[in-house]
Amino acid sequence: MSRLLWRSSRGYLRQHVWQVGLALLGVALGVAVVVAIDVANESARRAFVLATQSIVGRATHQIVGGPNGVSEEVYRQLRLTGKVRALAPVVESDVAAPDYPGWIFHVLGVDAFAEAPFRPYLSSAGVSPDNDFSAFLTQPATGLIAAATARQLGLAIGDRLRIRVGTRHQFITLVGLLAPNESGASAVENLLITDIATAQEILGLGGQLSRVDVRVPEGEAGQKLLATIRQLLPAGVEILSSRGRSQAIEQMIRAFQLNLTALSLLALIVGAFLIYNTMIFSVVQRRGLLGLLRIQGVTRREIFLLVLGEAALIGGVGTVGGLGLGILLSQGLVQLVTRTITDLYFVLTVRELALTPVVLGKGLALGLGASLLAALRPAWEATTTPARVTLQRSSLETLARQTAPRTMLLGLLALAVGLGGLWISGTNLWLSFGSLFGVLLGCVLMTPLTTVGCIRLFQPALSAWGGTLGRLCGRSVVATLSRTGVAIAALMVAVSVTVGVGIMVQSFRQTVVRWLESSLHADVYIAPPSLIARRSDATLDPALMQRLTSAPDIARVNTYRGLQVESRLGLTQLVAIDLAERSYDAFTFIAGEPHALWPAFQNEAAVIISEPYAYRHELRLNETLQLRTDRGEHAFRVVGIFTDYGSDQGLVMMSRHTYDQWWQDAKISSLGVYAEPNSDVDRLVESLRRLAGAEHEVLIRSNRTLRAASLEVFDRTFTITTVLHLLTTVVAFVGVLSALMALQLERAHELGVLRATGCTPGQVWGLMTSQTGLMGLIAGLLAVPVGVGLALILVLVINRRSFGWTLQIEIAPEILVQAIGMAVVAALLAGLYPALRMARTSPALALRNE
Amino acid sequence: MNSPLSREEKAAGPNRSQAGSGRALIALRDLTKVYQEGERLQPVLRQVNLSIHSGEFAVLLGRSGSGKSTLLNMLSGIDLPTSGEVVFSTDRGEVNLTRLSERERTLFRRVHIGFIFQFFNLIPTLSVEENLLLPLELNGRTGPPARDRARGLLEAVGLADRARSFPDRLSGGEQQRVAIARALVHDPLLLLADEPTGNLDLETGQRVLGLLDRLTRQRGKTLIMVTHSPEVIGVADRLLRLHAGQVVVCDDPAEASG
Amino acid sequence: MKLPPFLRIAGILLLVAVLVGAGQWYLAGRAFDDTAAAPRLSLSQALGGELAGFARADRPREFRFPDDHGPHPAYRTEWWYYTGNLKSAAGRHFGFQLTFFRTALKAPTDRVERTSAWGTQDVYMAHFALSDVATPRFYTFQRLSRAALGLAGASAVPFRVWLEDWSVTGETAAGPSVSMQLSAEEQDVALRLRLRPEKPLVLHGHNGLSQKGAAAGQASYYYSFTRLRSAGVLRLGDEEFQVQGLSWLDREWSTSVLGEALQGWDWFALQLTNGQELMVYQVRQHSGRIHPLSSGTLVAADGTPQTLTSADFQIEALQTWRSPTDGTVYPAKWRLRIPGEAIDLTITPYMADQEMHTLIRYWEGAVRAQGTIQGRPLAGDGYVELTGYGEKKAGSAVFGRLS
Repeated sequence: MSRLLWRSSRGYLRQHVWQVGLALLGVALGVAVVVAIDVANESARRAFVLATQSIVGRATHQIVGGPNGVSEEVYRQLRLTGKVRALAPVVESDVAAPDYPGWIFHVLGVDAFAEAPFRPYLSSAGVSPDNDFSAFLTQPATGLIAAATARQLGLAIGDRLRIRVGTRHQFITLVGLLAPNESGASAVENLLITDIATAQEILGLGGQLSRVDVRVPEGEAGQKLLATIRQLLPAGVEILSSRGRSQAIEQMIRAFQLNLTALSLLALIVGAFLIYNTMIFSVVQRRGLLGLLRIQGVTRREIFLLVLGEAALIGGVGTVGGLGLGILLSQGLVQLVTRTITDLYFVLTVRELALTPVVLGKGLALGLGASLLAALRPAWEATTTPARVTLQRSSLETLARQTAPRTMLLGLLALAVGLGGLWISGTNLWLSFGSLFGVLLGCVLMTPLTTVGCIRLFQPALSAWGGTLGRLCGRSVVATLSRTGVAIAALMVAVSVTVGVGIMVQSFRQTVVRWLESSLHADVYIAPPSLIARRSDATLDPALMQRLTSAPDIARVNTYRGLQVESRLGLTQLVAIDLAERSYDAFTFIAGEPHALWPAFQNEAAVIISEPYAYRHELRLNETLQLRTDRGEHAFRVVGIFTDYGSDQGLVMMSRHTYDQWWQDAKISSLGVYAEPNSDVDRLVESLRRLAGAEHEVLIRSNRTLRAASLEVFDRTFTITTVLHLLTTVVAFVGVLSALMALQLERAHELGVLRATGCTPGQVWGLMTSQTGLMGLIAGLLAVPVGVGLALILVLVINRRSFGWTLQIEIAPEILVQAIGMAVVAALLAGLYPALRMARTSPALALRNE
Repeated sequence: MNSPLSREEKAAGPNRSQAGSGRALIALRDLTKVYQEGERLQPVLRQVNLSIHSGEFAVLLGRSGSGKSTLLNMLSGIDLPTSGEVVFSTDRGEVNLTRLSERERTLFRRVHIGFIFQFFNLIPTLSVEENLLLPLELNGRTGPPARDRARGLLEAVGLADRARSFPDRLSGGEQQRVAIARALVHDPLLLLADEPTGNLDLETGQRVLGLLDRLTRQRGKTLIMVTHSPEVIGVADRLLRLHAGQVVVCDDPAEASG
Repeated sequence: MKLPPFLRIAGILLLVAVLVGAGQWYLAGRAFDDTAAAPRLSLSQALGGELAGFARADRPREFRFPDDHGPHPAYRTEWWYYTGNLKSAAGRHFGFQLTFFRTALKAPTDRVERTSAWGTQDVYMAHFALSDVATPRFYTFQRLSRAALGLAGASAVPFRVWLEDWSVTGETAAGPSVSMQLSAEEQDVALRLRLRPEKPLVLHGHNGLSQKGAAAGQASYYYSFTRLRSAGVLRLGDEEFQVQGLSWLDREWSTSVLGEALQGWDWFALQLTNGQELMVYQVRQHSGRIHPLSSGTLVAADGTPQTLTSADFQIEALQTWRSPTDGTVYPAKWRLRIPGEAIDLTITPYMADQEMHTLIRYWEGAVRAQGTIQGRPLAGDGYVELTGYGEKKAGSAVFGRLS
């Protein structure tokens, strides 16, 4: 294509700096949000993979046991047969470092003599002569941490690091530093490596291993070896593939991450609106020029490419800016994502952003792709420019109005496809989200005609309120539908997302509040501090427990033992409970007859499972569930399905009686204490705290405090959602601003006439402001049904499919009112500056010939 | 050539104009306008002194860029001169536009001035009638009387049946007729017309000019028109030529159109 | 005499090395060399400090059997060193080495009680090598383990030394003489032997006190079974061989042996056709001269030992062999003369490449001896160990620091 053609388009872009700037900003913001979420997700995933790699090393398989791990005797036997050489025992646990808030160390107890095939980074410890290996091997409570971590925490060899194991604080003397080369550095940041004996001692796991790492060759030889190993393993101990194990864990956060990605894509879609808006505006503006070019023999194809080229330029620059912005943004988001993952799933520390070429490339492709896609229609419009010079300003508008019904039909089609997609998507989350976008797209396409309808509805009122100017206000919105429609749709999408997410979160919260009220039955709850907010991962010291339960005024104590049971089927969160009869009411069953199921639960090999667990594993009442017990695999009958909002992975509950039959494990994770009637719960909490003493860090919370704390965690886990849809709103805001700026440019002449006719700047300002307010109002009104629809989809489809929860939908009127208010305010704010500029339109413009 | 302007009317013009000649509607005193173009100062008007009488039909001539539009801007209070005064004599006494604020000038304009543009400049989103109602509303005139007034003028320009149409449904000539009606609807003291036929074919242009002349003269309106049309030059009361920043009054139409 | 300075280095280097991983000896060596210039804690200081609580081989002692077959935890290092030459029924020749090293991490006085069964005071290292002369192929394997949880260790009664499933177990319960079952298997190689002493054990040096340096305590306790009648099964891949031959056991324990910088040493152990056994070693100094404390023992057919001093024998290298791995040049053929006994032997390796690819690189291989004693033909089989060849600088740096 001719260079001159490009020069003309460059000149145009340069003349419309504002417009182009806003489009750039919109794309940049959209891309930034997507990239930031992608980087945050990818960083979390990589941190997980790195942590897994550093912990699992090159083990192809792992021998795992029950709640107490694997007996070291199993390892000894395996080792002494000489049949398997690549074996490494591991004793591990996450521990908090109370002196360094936010730091969680993974104690990795290893047998250095068995390590070589597994964790090569440990060799870095060998290079420094400062490291005292003799002490590492022979002195209790010694360990190694990464040199970088030591620097960061201001620790040196010889210093003591305080850790909290369960409820108790201990000190580890650093006898060396680990300085793995190149890429290994971040993988070991959170490791506290000790001798295996040391780990057993500090974690109180005498005689037990967390697991045994195994390396078997690929192929038939490996299979044979695995079979040999299996034969040597006692009941309750199993060999699982490492990849399968970490995948099972990684699987837990997949739905969560997908939800974030989907939400971030919304921002990009809104950003694409801006490109669309800018390009269609530029085409309208240049119809004369384009007509001229066509006269001079420029082909339709060339015009098409010209417009697409401009979009690519804007999209490209905006995307590149968005990548930078996204990287900045991701630094904040990654913390939110990590926090949420740690609250909900597993301990995760991310200290490095995954700015991989793939992530950045994806951002680039999405940004450019969305820009080009958005420019397709404008480019096509441009090619329809007739080859003549006559400027027909309104022809496109007429077209927009004429095509509105067709667009509407298209919208209805998209809506139908979306809803149909939801119907058939089954458990496929991607398809569910795709359908959700389809529904949203449908609503967007329906916006222009609906807007026309709304204006028609408002017209009498506008006329009564503002006379001819009032009428002008409404009509201008319709007249410039190609732009106002886009702005209204963008704002509508943003606001409806706010409404949808708002209703979803609100419903969720209300459901959780109600659930907490009914399920937190005991008066006082005692638990060791947990690193994962929604799961207990530590146990109570037996002596401490005895002391506590001897407190006066205690009528009854429920005990809980939470553990993860692993099998080839994946991870299962199992809770063994010793339950007072009066606690039965704490459960709400969606399947199973409460009167009938409790005796079975207490006395038979029966379990009750939470709703998400049932959903996830497609389990129904009276079906059986295979669990790996210390006595081998055993089937447990499901006698009830209860509602639970504590874990999206789901829970299996078993009576302590049953548990003790199948597992050799006396540990208890937490207690629920019923006070004697008429005793003062606060005083009981006080006396329990006194009994706990200073050496134990244990959480003793009244029913009320625990509920508040649970809600706090709940709210924290939704912070990221809130932040995301706020960002989307910002993009939409830019969209409205951009649309209004476009209008200002385009209507300058008309406004000049108004001014010449005697409209004061104030009147023009009022006119423009009313117009933006009107647009905001329409967007807000449309957002209400769309938002409610979104909420229904989010709650009934997405949430259920992602997490298996049934939520009671609560539509608080204030959310709807707020949404409309927000739309109007956003529009007014966005309109503030353009209106001001428009008000300043010189009436002389009216005299200027075009 | 079939001129739309009758000799009689032409003859009657100056007489009437002379009848009111005791009163100058507009007085321009030492009007100077200098534009700044980068570093350079570009004087467009240099100490122009001119009186326009009430009821007069003045034609403003001059080459492109001679300052015709600038002068119109000064006359309508759209723009302020660098120095000098623009004084209107209204029934409430003299008004010096240069002493008024932007807002006051706008309010003055909405009452006393009507515009006719080369490109008609009707508000596309308002119907023909509404376009006429707008100036009335701006002057606080609403309701049936205002509508009657608008209807009256539409009838006068022969477009009563198009009252509900939108401008884009009208031909150029029709649009300009609506524009004339709009310029007159609020009964201004002064009409400013900027090449009103510049965008019309000859025949339509002549018809529009005839209408404009008839209506303004009928109503005793003062009209200042920028144009190059020889027909107009023939019927104007006075020909003003802008040249080198000065207004030269020329009596010879031939010289004027040259 | 087997590897004493090496093992002393190993006492510390082992800890580095286990973490570095097998086969990265060079890397670790270089790292040490690089840090040698830094005025940091010197290895010898660390070692010296830790030597404090250990017993020293500083006086002759009364050997007590079977107790002394077991471990001596009061001393820093100790080993059970089995070598031997075997023949299959069809006459295929094999050499083997199976060695268990014990290194104490802490002096007995510093030991801390551990509640975990994994708590350890000793580290065991074992080397297993097989020379298949016919192919010729050389197999080497190495293992390391803590002496805890029954993974590795040693005991006197019943006699047993083991590292995982490599083990030597005593058959007889009491007395100085003991028949043993040797068993080691890794990958393609599995060896099961029954070892029966044909002669009583021999105390080397001065009643078992083998002086290595001038100062008191620079010595080890050293005894050997020089002629162990061996028979058993060797599996090599899918093939199985009934093998028999003669083996040799060296037992040595000490705390600090050497007092000066050494380059390395050459050790010879030969079982001769005339019923005699000969053990000699020469310690090479940096100057290239042979250290005067080099010595040996000649065991008569009736088992009577005769101590040889460095003046009593001469060893002359006749050929060299270049290691394909790193180009290290080892002597590969010797002339060994004991003028006092009129013994003149030419010693030839059964195969050239018997270089140990273990944590510590050395050459340890089966050899054949041929020559004369007092003019009459004399032959025999045995083992030679060559240390301190190649990477002179690193070696010397490590040795230097040890002194």
